[in-house]
Amino acid sequence: MMSSFLFRAMDARAGIFLAIMAAVIVLVPAGNLLMPEGSTFHVPNYAVTLMGKYLTYALLALAVDLVWGYCGILSLGHAAFFALGGYAMGMYLMRQIGTRGVYGDPILPDFMVFLNWGELPWYWYGFDMFWFAALMVLLVPGVLAFVFGWFAFRSRVTGVYLSIITQALTYALLLAFFRNDMGFGGNNGLTDFKDILGFDIQADTTRAGLFAASGLALVVCFLICRAITRSKLGKVLVAVRDAESRTRFLGYRVEHYKLFVWTLSAMMAGIAGALYVPQVGIINPGEFAPANSIEVVIWVAVGGRGTLVGAVLGAVLVNFAKTWFTAALPDIWLFALGGLFVVVTLFLPKGIVGTLSQGWTALRQRKVSEDFEAGSDQPPSQAPQSPASPANVSPKKSASTVPADADPQPAE
Amino acid sequence: MSLMRSFLLLFSLAASLLAAPALAQSDPETLRPLINELANGKYSETEKQIGALVATGDPQVAPALEALSDGDLYVRKADGEVFIIKKAGKAYALIDPLTLETAGEAAKREMDKIKVNNKLRRVIRSALGSLTLMAPDPTVRMAAAEAVFKAKDPDSIEALDAAIAAEADDGVRKKMEEARAAAVLNSDMDEAAKLQAVSTLGTMGNRDALSLLIAVQSSSEGALRDAATSEITKIEKSIAAWDAAQNIWYGLSLGSVLLLAAIGLAITFGVMGVINMAHGEMVMIGAYVTFVVQEFIRSSAPGLFEYSLFIALPLAFLTSGLVGVAIERGVIRWLYGRPLETLLATWGISLVLQQAVRSIFGPTNREVGNPDWMSGAFEIGQMTITYNRMWIIVFAMLVFAGLMLVLKKTPFGLYTRAVTQNRRMAASMGIRTPWIDAFTFGLGSGIAGIAGVALSQIDNVSPNLGQGYIIDSFMVVVFGGVGNLWGTLVGAMTLGVVNKFLEPYAGAVLGKIFVLVFIILFIQKRPRGLFALKGRAVEA
Amino acid sequence: MARSSSLLYLDGVSVSFDGFKALNELSLTIAPGEMRAIIGPNGAGKTTMMDVITGKTRPDSGEVFFNGTVDLTGEDEASIAELGIGRKFQKPTVFESHTVWDNLELALKAPRGPFATLFHVISGGEKKRVEYLLDLIRLGSKRHELAANLSHGQKQWLEIGMLLAQDPKLLLVDEPAAGMTDAETAETAELLKDIANDHSVVVVEHDMVFVRSLGVKVTVLHEGSVLAEGSLDHVSADERVVEVYLGR
Repeated sequence: MMSSFLFRAMDARAGIFLAIMAAVIVLVPAGNLLMPEGSTFHVPNYAVTLMGKYLTYALLALAVDLVWGYCGILSLGHAAFFALGGYAMGMYLMRQIGTRGVYGDPILPDFMVFLNWGELPWYWYGFDMFWFAALMVLLVPGVLAFVFGWFAFRSRVTGVYLSIITQALTYALLLAFFRNDMGFGGNNGLTDFKDILGFDIQADTTRAGLFAASGLALVVCFLICRAITRSKLGKVLVAVRDAESRTRFLGYRVEHYKLFVWTLSAMMAGIAGALYVPQVGIINPGEFAPANSIEVVIWVAVGGRGTLVGAVLGAVLVNFAKTWFTAALPDIWLFALGGLFVVVTLFLPKGIVGTLSQGWTALRQRKVSEDFEAGSDQPPSQAPQSPASPANVSPKKSASTVPADADPQPAE
Repeated sequence: MSLMRSFLLLFSLAASLLAAPALAQSDPETLRPLINELANGKYSETEKQIGALVATGDPQVAPALEALSDGDLYVRKADGEVFIIKKAGKAYALIDPLTLETAGEAAKREMDKIKVNNKLRRVIRSALGSLTLMAPDPTVRMAAAEAVFKAKDPDSIEALDAAIAAEADDGVRKKMEEARAAAVLNSDMDEAAKLQAVSTLGTMGNRDALSLLIAVQSSSEGALRDAATSEITKIEKSIAAWDAAQNIWYGLSLGSVLLLAAIGLAITFGVMGVINMAHGEMVMIGAYVTFVVQEFIRSSAPGLFEYSLFIALPLAFLTSGLVGVAIERGVIRWLYGRPLETLLATWGISLVLQQAVRSIFGPTNREVGNPDWMSGAFEIGQMTITYNRMWIIVFAMLVFAGLMLVLKKTPFGLYTRAVTQNRRMAASMGIRTPWIDAFTFGLGSGIAGIAGVALSQIDNVSPNLGQGYIIDSFMVVVFGGVGNLWGTLVGAMTLGVVNKFLEPYAGAVLGKIFVLVFIILFIQKRPRGLFALKGRAVEA
Repeated sequence: MARSSSLLYLDGVSVSFDGFKALNELSLTIAPGEMRAIIGPNGAGKTTMMDVITGKTRPDSGEVFFNGTVDLTGEDEASIAELGIGRKFQKPTVFESHTVWDNLELALKAPRGPFATLFHVISGGEKKRVEYLLDLIRLGSKRHELAANLSHGQKQWLEIGMLLAQDPKLLLVDEPAAGMTDAETAETAELLKDIANDHSVVVVEHDMVFVRSLGVKVTVLHEGSVLAEGSLDHVSADERVVEVYLGR
């Protein structure tokens, strides 16, 4: 059963993606560690960190694509799960500092000494152990998502309402984490990390290791997402996205399905956050900003929602552009990002990958029907239309021409 | 000489005793010897001399006493004349302590400071209070009564009695009576007088009275203690009521800010079903229009400053409205029926607008001034009401009423309602639905613009102004029930008041978090908001 | 008819929206194996009745029982569907970005939990069943088409096919002939009659020709309650029905 489950994840597109990822995971650290500086193949340190950061963003985008692209839940609060995962990892890293902090307190992190806290708050217990922190990276976002989703999906909050309350969720967390007495370092967050699992966090090898770990996490999560979306469960998710009420009348408990992917997606976002923090060396409440969550959505939209590969591609492309713009033309970046939102929604609703694969399918179909007209006995309707990748072929509705029923409707 | 001086002293004392209640202004020269006397002797003597000055009951001695208290009263070694000095470089500028005219300069070494200690300062403070009790200006008398109230000096009772007898202004007399009561309680007068004082403080009914009564309660026994206790409970009750009233006021004030920010959204989101994430930026544009108008007025017509907001209102409405129409025609109309895409596209627009404003006006806060009628405050009972908050509440209500009128009573409103209820039918009856869409969106945006004018008076005008309001605005609209302007009104006010009532217990930030969590839970319970219309079951 | 021997039993069901009574003391009983046509002018409460039976709307008062024993007012859509009530919407609703095959596969009677579907592998029996349904609804050649690309009539048929795939005891069919050509309408009537051989069916329809061709007992709804019941000829002779329909 399990093997068939995993086997489903594989096809040509997944194969190409995995090959590229394997190459990246091997070549980038190798280029950094093995090639001498000055060589054309040398990958500079900053690039390793930067690309590692991109990979964690890609994982976050993957998580958003799973719920938005396949289940139609537009989350404007995924940065919250990302940041919670990041904080869990940050707490572990803080406890690893030990007596090397400015105040040299063996237990209390510097900011607590500074705030005259007498002892460690109970929720910081256990974070000196890596396994516990790793568990929390999954559990904290997972439990929050489960509770939130349980309430939201059970009472059938959908569409923009759900989007707005996910945004309120991350906004509430933003305000909460800014408070000093929450015990998470307030405004400054957690930083000045020294080492992770005993390795110096600044060392080249550690950075390369974190990069590879991010790549591996991305690959594993990609395969899980892939397996899910191609299972019958994936088909139910798409059914929910397209006609939620119909799915209900078929006997599916829609809220259970939503809750399942929502929680899973939050956990993936948590993993992404946990890998992000040691690479950038800081986590602060700014990560909860609602703007961050919305930015993730545009990465997915650019790459093509409901395609998984597109989410990864979009995250890397947009962030690469961001890095480049903010260095070269800092004033232009927000114009460019804002413009990207508008252009993608208006002219590229399927994103890069969606548009390409649609074109590819259309091309193949035309070829088949030409063959048919030329005397082939294969009827065109039997054309291999890749029924197994349903989600990237959106219904008519999202065609770029305005359909007849595309009028403003009072929000329900 | 000294004979002459003591004669004058006696004379002036006698004169002042007679003249004091009549509020006589005596000749400065009769007072001068008394002032010059301050330079002689030790602290204990100085205290007596101050008493003598006060006994004249003449407000003219007040500056000298103030200067003494501040350490600015000096004596000229050469002739024993006393002056108020002002430091002027290496020398002192001399000021006559009675006429307050300049009287030349003197080198530092020519002058001696008249020493003063804290005990003397206290004496002076209460003395000054009772002195100015007779000043011709009622505001000065009021201030004096307040000072005496704080000093609680039993020695001022006589002066107060005199002042109360002569007082014509009711408000000032009341304050003086309260001051007297405070002083009586501090004195060794009999219980009847003190009981009287306790009841005076009881009717005063504020925190100052409360703390005095608590002191009485802990230091006395018997009837006095009982009287104090009963007055304390009375005052505590009334203070609690006033606190609640003040909280409601703050809540309404916050609520009207929320209402202003959300009401435009209630139209674009509630009526048209368009998620406009750039709504906050329309508010910001309105605020910047106010800034530009004020800049223009400052440079070319400073006299119009008091009217700047009235000039800014129509301009802000037009500017934001036009931007809104442009957004609707350029982007949103292609996305009708796809709310999630609309959300993303308008978010993009909001980023562009913010950056555009940042490029033009810079990233920092811009100064928008308050006209005089918007600044200051007044008090009702124990509530302080600032004018800017009050006008914003009034303004929010006017905007709400105006909008209701437009939607209910004008042909445009009729068309809008027709289009939102049944688009095809409206279209086939000859209503140009695309125009109505554009104008409705423009109306919502324009109202956001005039909200910006109001918010520029209480918030920082920066490119991020709008972002701070967008989540709150959505919360208000969703909480109140989409598509229902009354719901938006009730939603805004409820959230404002709840927020302000939570703040004292939870702090501002935590209070806000509670409200957000509350709304999140509320939406679960009633996904269609407070005032949702129940409809026939929706098709799949 | 007694509740215990009925398949579907509605008694005194009322639903109101903001003062508007969509259903007013509606009582209706369907026997096992029966096929019933329900007609009535717009706003008679036909769709609201369907909503109440399928758990979409909770009645303000009244009893709704399935199989004589199961109280439907306490159940949600999913569990009512699992009990064996299938519903076809007025506007055909199929999963447009799925293929015809996938639409049917999703509707097949099978465990509905997320984990069951996650590890689900389609069995030979299920494949046969889908093939059979494809034949029945005449979409065999379109099995790999996206449902979005079907014509209106084909979508109606696909939805009926999905209903059958659920293998329900009772089918609620809302205006199956809407938007169909005459030939398609006739075929649909035949299909429904076939289905009625081993299922109970409730058909809501406007088209009198279609109702006549079904040849079954008819219930006329008006303003949320039953106006008349009997054969089509019987109810068409009823003066009140004529009045309601022609506004006399």
